[in-house]
Amino acid sequence: MQINWFIIGIGLTAAVVLLFRDWRVTVTALLLNYLALTLFLAEQRFVAPDLNFLGLAVSTLVLIKLITGLAVTLILGITALTFEGEYGLESLDEFGLAELRRAARAAQRQRANEPFQMNDYVLPFWAGVLALLASLTLPRVYPIAPTEASDFAWYWLTLTGLLTVATAADLLKIGLGLLLCVSSIDLLYTSVVSTPQASGLNVAPLGLLSLFHILLALAVAYLSGLLYGRLKTLALSALYKR
Amino acid sequence: MLYLLLIFFPVTMALSTFVLRKRTELVIFAALGAVLAQMLIATQIPLDDPTRFLGVTLTFNALSRTFMLVFLTLGGFAFVGAWHLPHGENFVPITLLTLAQVGTVLLLQDPFITTLLLASTGLTAVLAIVDLPAGASNLVGTRAIAAALKYLVLMVVAAVLMYIAFVLTDIFRPGELPGRISPARFILALLTVSFALRLALVPFHTWLTDLVDFAEPLVAAVVITLLNTTSLLVLILVFQSFPTLLFESEAALGVMRLGAIVSAVVAGMLALAPASLRHTMAYLVLYNGGMVFYGLASASPIGLAGAIFGALNQTFAVLLLFVSLALLERPDGRTPGVTRHDLLRRWPIAGAGLLASGLSLLGLPPFNGAVSHMLIYQAAAAKGWVELLALLAGTLLAGLGLVRVAAAHLLGPGEEAVAAEPLLLGETELDRPAVRRLAPEPRSTAALTLTLLLICLGIGLYPQPFLATIDETIRGLAFIRAL
Repeated sequence: MQINWFIIGIGLTAAVVLLFRDWRVTVTALLLNYLALTLFLAEQRFVAPDLNFLGLAVSTLVLIKLITGLAVTLILGITALTFEGEYGLESLDEFGLAELRRAARAAQRQRANEPFQMNDYVLPFWAGVLALLASLTLPRVYPIAPTEASDFAWYWLTLTGLLTVATAADLLKIGLGLLLCVSSIDLLYTSVVSTPQASGLNVAPLGLLSLFHILLALAVAYLSGLLYGRLKTLALSALYKR
Repeated sequence: MLYLLLIFFPVTMALSTFVLRKRTELVIFAALGAVLAQMLIATQIPLDDPTRFLGVTLTFNALSRTFMLVFLTLGGFAFVGAWHLPHGENFVPITLLTLAQVGTVLLLQDPFITTLLLASTGLTAVLAIVDLPAGASNLVGTRAIAAALKYLVLMVVAAVLMYIAFVLTDIFRPGELPGRISPARFILALLTVSFALRLALVPFHTWLTDLVDFAEPLVAAVVITLLNTTSLLVLILVFQSFPTLLFESEAALGVMRLGAIVSAVVAGMLALAPASLRHTMAYLVLYNGGMVFYGLASASPIGLAGAIFGALNQTFAVLLLFVSLALLERPDGRTPGVTRHDLLRRWPIAGAGLLASGLSLLGLPPFNGAVSHMLIYQAAAAKGWVELLALLAGTLLAGLGLVRVAAAHLLGPGEEAVAAEPLLLGETELDRPAVRRLAPEPRSTAALTLTLLLICLGIGLYPQPFLATIDETIRGLAFIRAL
């Protein structure tokens, strides 16, 4: 049996997004996930190559996916790096400033009282195990894509994405989960609609899909920045605290 | 060219108004001009004359033109409302962008692009939910951020499910793979859940109640009127494009009808429970959404006419509701932080608008919802008396909810109606505190409320022109003829 390293790359990076909490780890994993997905698309050749990129024959579609992945991770990475900055304080009144100071103290206390606990990783781990079992079973029970590898990849990305959203403890991770879900439909569309019995790939949906990736990343970055500016933390527990 | 103008003109105007967003009056005038220009363009495009652009077919039929004009009218009303009612700094550019997006959805036939555009309208709405007024000195509320996040997640999940369903329809061939479960059921299930999320049907409704509770009323109005109604039209387009889905799984339509009935009845029950004015009105909107969805799921000409007309009526009723709500919540010159019971006396036009919109959502005559509700009841009666009784029970519960909220907030005795006491010994008129003069409702917003109320009344009394257009459209729908 031949091992498909790109599928393993997609699987491992999505699992890292599901399991880990530190944004430096998860955003890097997302970038690697996009990279693995791009290489997988190049290898499967759903679209005939029309470019010579660094000595490799690839399609423009693959290059677009790579640029999209880079743009998305750059947006999220730069946003996360600039969280510490203070913006728009000049328009706030005394009550607003006092509320911000209170929020900063509460966030500091929360960080101090929340040491590393293995318990936090139990739920995402078992969710990942369930997703793996489902992703291995579904391509046989309900095959949709032309190859089993593509089927596994899109099922795995959808399930890990949804489970990341369900088990996320902070807003940025919810965004990463949503981006994994969008990657999965991107892969499904490219692999299924390019088959001879389907209607054929169209440039408009492909372009819009890439644009949607970027817009979603911008929306997540905007909400994350807003939440961090308001509560000095991205934790959902602080957001839903009454 | 006209198609491109219809799509890109509001986008450029949105960008321009974003640059000028600090100058509220100018931006509102520019937006009103853009809406009028859009209406003119929409009336100039020939009907049923498809054109190709970048491999995508763009076309305009009678129904999509009617809804396009209705959406533009609603957008115009929302801009007039923004003159006096609280709204975010970017409300006007965001609404213009949303109008461009829903306009494009109405022109398109490609399900993949439609799905992505619907999802992108969700992203635009997120910006509106967390938007603060220009120069605001307060912080954005955490509950508003939570509402925006919930909306974002649910809309993206809905888009993912819808996209998977459309990919499956692309390779689905009826009658293939005998002996296996038909993929039609799987596709229909995916579509039902995704549209239930977008249309806020129970139990996927919590984003709507959060939106109504924590976003500005004008934002809630724009999201519910433009985006939910567009989603319903897209669902009709899906049934028209893939009628085999319905033929292969007619039992699924029964499940969809059951879901709609549950949505209407549960929303009615929730409206009865003690809650704030906003929360109760959100449940009335949910109840009406359930009724409209039932009409669509009945898959009969009468039910579908009721659903389309109901969706159109809902847009006007919901805008009236939120404009009235925003007026009722204005600081009224009395002690703040007190729950008022005499809002109808204090703000007579806004109070009347709220009651009228509630009655319209309940489908009570003489307002516009009455005819669409009657059509939906007729469709339910054709399916059996159990379904009709369940819908009537939902209406009764929602009606009781409206009575409760009206008694609690609107119809109470006036606080100013205190009997004049005689002068005490040695006291003169000058010793008494001056009579408090409370400001009346702002003229432009009061005029807007009255206009919307008259539109609801006018459509209720004379629905024939709309019904004629809807009947003509339904006659052209292949899936209805075949079913």
